[in-house]
Amino acid sequence: MAEYSCLIVEDSPMMRQLLVFALARVKNLRVTEADDGVDGLRKLASARYDIIVTDINMPIMDGLKLVKRVRSDPQHKDTPIVIITTEGSSEDRQRALQLGANAYITKPIQAPQVIATVKELLKIE
Amino acid sequence: MTEQRKPARSDAPPQDLRRERDEFLQTFTKGSRLAEEFLAEHERVQERVRALEEENARLRAQVQADNAVRDLVETIARLEAEKAELLSRTARAEAASTQVVTRFSEVESEFAHLANLYVASNQLHASLSPRSVTRRIKEVLAQLVGAERYAMYLATGDGAQLVPIASEGLAGDRVIPLDVATTRAGEVLRSGSAVVDEDGDPSRGTPETPAAILPLTVDERVVGVIVIIATLAQKKRFDTNDFQLFRLLGQHAAGALVSASLFVAAGRRLPGLEAFIDLSV
Repeated sequence: MAEYSCLIVEDSPMMRQLLVFALARVKNLRVTEADDGVDGLRKLASARYDIIVTDINMPIMDGLKLVKRVRSDPQHKDTPIVIITTEGSSEDRQRALQLGANAYITKPIQAPQVIATVKELLKIE
Repeated sequence: MTEQRKPARSDAPPQDLRRERDEFLQTFTKGSRLAEEFLAEHERVQERVRALEEENARLRAQVQADNAVRDLVETIARLEAEKAELLSRTARAEAASTQVVTRFSEVESEFAHLANLYVASNQLHASLSPRSVTRRIKEVLAQLVGAERYAMYLATGDGAQLVPIASEGLAGDRVIPLDVATTRAGEVLRSGSAVVDEDGDPSRGTPETPAAILPLTVDERVVGVIVIIATLAQKKRFDTNDFQLFRLLGQHAAGALVSASLFVAAGRRLPGLEAFIDLSV
């Protein structure tokens, strides 16, 4: 069975813990955590990931900048990206999707929604 | 002249022969007629036999066709019964499958709730710094409950006022001490019972009609309150998970804060072993 890898980029330890708990429900998914956008890019440079789940509001480098950088990187330009944010307006959603995000989840997150989104993007049954 | 006697005609049959001849002719004619009648009757009988054979063949064919139809009807009835049984089995299987899917969804949802509670509890007790505990309480409110504007208050020693110790999304002039005797937050402090707008849209809460007010307890004493004025716009309703989080915050947030404060007051020194010696029950 194929094994998948996921990079979680989130500055809140609590949210990271929650996302790790949720994504542990997806079979054969290995999860790596990054504290912010810079840490995320560092980890992306050293390994290949099948999907990225990132918060928008983070210090040092926010999620939108991270999405732009990832999309300009040939190695990860096609990697699915899920944006998680407190902003629920359609303009924010459009902005994130225009930058290249594949899905958009608003806080407070619901674990089943995160699981379903990741499974859908990875095409896991 | 002598009358010459005419010789008698030699072909003239005698009377008896004539009679015999006539009788014969009559008999012959009768026989001939009978033979003709017999032949005609024979012809009719042959015709009748042919007709009966045809009728017989037709009836045999009809009987065979009827048998085939009867067989077909029986086969159709059997197939209909099998179809009904299969449909019934399919319906039962679908119902069972739906039940499994529903149950799976419920279990996943319950797991998510438990994960939320575990993470919240874990975070609240993961630090002995009052500032860090306060930040973690705010994280639980913002990230797990989806609170956008809120404030946390602790009661003064005399219990007359609630003093804000943390807030988010509120203008400075809104974050002021509250009178316990005259405010809704004070009422919650006095009663120890949470007030939650269960039916309304919590994102539309106001300082006058907050979405929720939660009592904070330490060792069964109410020492403060959390006032959630409004949630994020996309959070339109509190659910079971929120009520469980409210209960957890009410029972653990103030305790975590008190523990952290006492730890700092003790110079961040862990108590010695002697502090635990008499704890056996």
